[in-house]
Amino acid sequence: MIFSSIEFLLLFLPVFLIFYWLSPDKIKNVVLLAGSLIFYTFGEPKYLVLLMVSVLANYFTGLCLEQMPRQKGKQNKRKKIKYDRKRKRIFITAVVINIGVLAVCKVVFDENALPLGISFYTFQILSYLIDVYKGEQRRETSFVCFATYVTMFPQLVSGPIVSYGEVREHLYKREFNAEKLQEGLKVFTLGLASKVLLADRLGLLWREVQVTGFESISTPLAWLAAAAYSMKIYFDFYGYSLMAVGLGRMLGFELPENFRTPYMSGSVREFYRRWHITLGRWFCRYIYIPLGGNRKGELRTVLNLLAVWGLTAIWHGSTENFLIWGMLLWLLIVFERQLEALGAGKILKKGPLRVIPHLYLWAVIPVTWICFAVTDISQLHIYLGRMFGTTEGIRISARDWIRALQTYWYLFGIGALACTPVLHRLFRKWKDSVAGTLILVALFWVCVWRLQVEGNNPFMYFRLF
Amino acid sequence: MKWLKNCYYLILLVTVGIVYLSTVDRWKVYAQVIEQVKEFCLGDVEQENQKKNADDSGPGQDVVEPGDIADGSGNLASAAFGTADDGQGQNMADAENGQGQDVANTGAGTAEGAGAEEQPITRPTEPGAPLEPAVPTEPGAPLEPAVPTEPGVPPDPGTPTEPVFVTVEDEYFADAVFIGDSRTVGMCEYGGLEEISTFYASTGLTVYKIFDAAIVEVPGQKKKITIEEALEENSFAKIYLMIGINEMGVGTVETFTEKYREVVEHLQELQPDAIIYIQGIIKVTTERSDQGDYINNEGIEARNLELEKLADNRSIFYLDVNPLICDETGGLVDSYTFDGVHLKAKYIQIWKDYLKENAVQINFS
Repeated sequence: MIFSSIEFLLLFLPVFLIFYWLSPDKIKNVVLLAGSLIFYTFGEPKYLVLLMVSVLANYFTGLCLEQMPRQKGKQNKRKKIKYDRKRKRIFITAVVINIGVLAVCKVVFDENALPLGISFYTFQILSYLIDVYKGEQRRETSFVCFATYVTMFPQLVSGPIVSYGEVREHLYKREFNAEKLQEGLKVFTLGLASKVLLADRLGLLWREVQVTGFESISTPLAWLAAAAYSMKIYFDFYGYSLMAVGLGRMLGFELPENFRTPYMSGSVREFYRRWHITLGRWFCRYIYIPLGGNRKGELRTVLNLLAVWGLTAIWHGSTENFLIWGMLLWLLIVFERQLEALGAGKILKKGPLRVIPHLYLWAVIPVTWICFAVTDISQLHIYLGRMFGTTEGIRISARDWIRALQTYWYLFGIGALACTPVLHRLFRKWKDSVAGTLILVALFWVCVWRLQVEGNNPFMYFRLF
Repeated sequence: MKWLKNCYYLILLVTVGIVYLSTVDRWKVYAQVIEQVKEFCLGDVEQENQKKNADDSGPGQDVVEPGDIADGSGNLASAAFGTADDGQGQNMADAENGQGQDVANTGAGTAEGAGAEEQPITRPTEPGAPLEPAVPTEPGAPLEPAVPTEPGVPPDPGTPTEPVFVTVEDEYFADAVFIGDSRTVGMCEYGGLEEISTFYASTGLTVYKIFDAAIVEVPGQKKKITIEEALEENSFAKIYLMIGINEMGVGTVETFTEKYREVVEHLQELQPDAIIYIQGIIKVTTERSDQGDYINNEGIEARNLELEKLADNRSIFYLDVNPLICDETGGLVDSYTFDGVHLKAKYIQIWKDYLKENAVQINFS
């Protein structure tokens, strides 16, 4: 089940909230756990067992990973060494198995048939295991708390990837009241609107281009569609993260924010510090820094970055295009580092030259997204060829991009505005005013109406062939 | 008053929700769920019982009478144009008609939609005339595929009963008009005839709304005119029709064919000198067909069989490009399409070439 579906909005959520509200504080975690499993079952009953086994096994693993408290005495020291050795063995086995299951799933299953949320919950479990092993977190002895942490439905399916330290406190004590419910709902509404009214609508242009066939689009349309896809993937993911944060707040959690207006960045490096923040943070904390980060010389840094981007690419998907995407980003980041070292950063920060980094970003990011979007390499080749005019087009309609603009200009306009911090600022300022509230209410039900019309899937325009 | 401040968004949301669900949706969302739960609970009970249940479950399920179909078409029309507005009209219309279940519902229950569509086919709508998709069932006007002559109009001895098709150049289409849905839009944009011929095509166009849809642009005029008005003002020698995929979810083979016949007859009134080419509905890929909704190749084939019979091979001809673009599974070739429904621009050439190789060169005037 996804958040932007009628079943979730009109059935699961209200029913769940009523149960959650009625249940005493002590069993709220159990209700949340049960609700989350039902939520998961709705979408993917097949893989519920995998999820449950994963949670159970990792719960017990976590119990064995706690560091031994320091004690004096020779015997205790020997004991500790022995214990630590065992601890290490368990830790490595657990990490290998978790990653192995994820890797096998990525290879065996098709991109769309992957067990729901496995990339996300595996990473969350790994972060817990590593934190406990390194002694940064105490192990969790309550099974309900651990299981709730992994499976809680606001973040189960597509993040944010929460570290245990961020939610531990709230797992034990949190407040559920009308004010939080309302504030969370407002954030949720904003996310829903972003997904349904922007991402799904802009996605149609991308869809149209696919229906036409990449070999038959003009170069301007190729860029326009790349821009549309760039916005679509942002509003899709950003919307989903907002909905997750909103739901979390409704239930009394504070989930971390996942996006900070990435398209306003001035470099690819900055972009990925503001895009899918919790994933970047994960890779930084558990891969980049343990490898030495940027403290071991430029060459090591570049190689560390290569490792991070290679893994990021594989995490997103197992087809070659993701590798191309990751390597392209790695190259751009290395290039930016070199420019920075030459002192370009200072020059480009002052005066009218400031726009250059932004223009650069807006030119390269859509290209990287195309590498991300088109999974078939020969098709990707054609698309990039059309973007740069190196592939001869077949039966191109020269005015296709004008037609696209005529249809989509307002969505591009709203989308561009929504990429800036302006809308967010307005939201914060107006969300409690009567007008703002009314707008949000209207947005919510317009989204529901659109979802009903579209029958859940934005592309199932049964009537619109 | 603090409590009010803390939850007035909630209150407003629920209030507007109740209004919305009562007026637009008629609580169908929940009715469907209750239905599903009921079905689930009754799962073990005898089939007989279930069948009875289905029959009783609402007026929406026996929706095949012509009147109802007309309703459906009205809904359809309002849904057909402009991606932003589709469906609402339909929902409202449904609500107005008080049809509990969805014949023409775009919403969640596609399986039910399909079920509702199939039912009528096996159920006699005309007394004593059991309707079967493949059997021609025009009461009083028995049409045999092999004898494509119109009753009442004795064939001219000199008129060929088998159409003679010749190959033509692009100029042939200079006095032609292509009328149709998004498939024809594709032909317009990527067939290379945009400058030569006239296109009255729009995504979502159906036979039910074909004459009333204001889709034709007039140079120097802001307001678009309907196809009917456009056909009154301009004259054409050839009319190419490619329409029918959007109608798959509405009505039966018979009601669709009947409407199509009316459309052709009206076209003849508007353009008495024109040759009308009825094009068989382009099929979808087998994968798309197997998705389980009402868009499937069996349905398209059944309708195409009937469309073929509308041709008299004198001024109305039937063309079917499907054999050229379908594979051995009987569906559209996978690589020719992205969405399983529309030909990619590159392959529209096959369709165009087919039309060029199957042109009729007769002067009727």
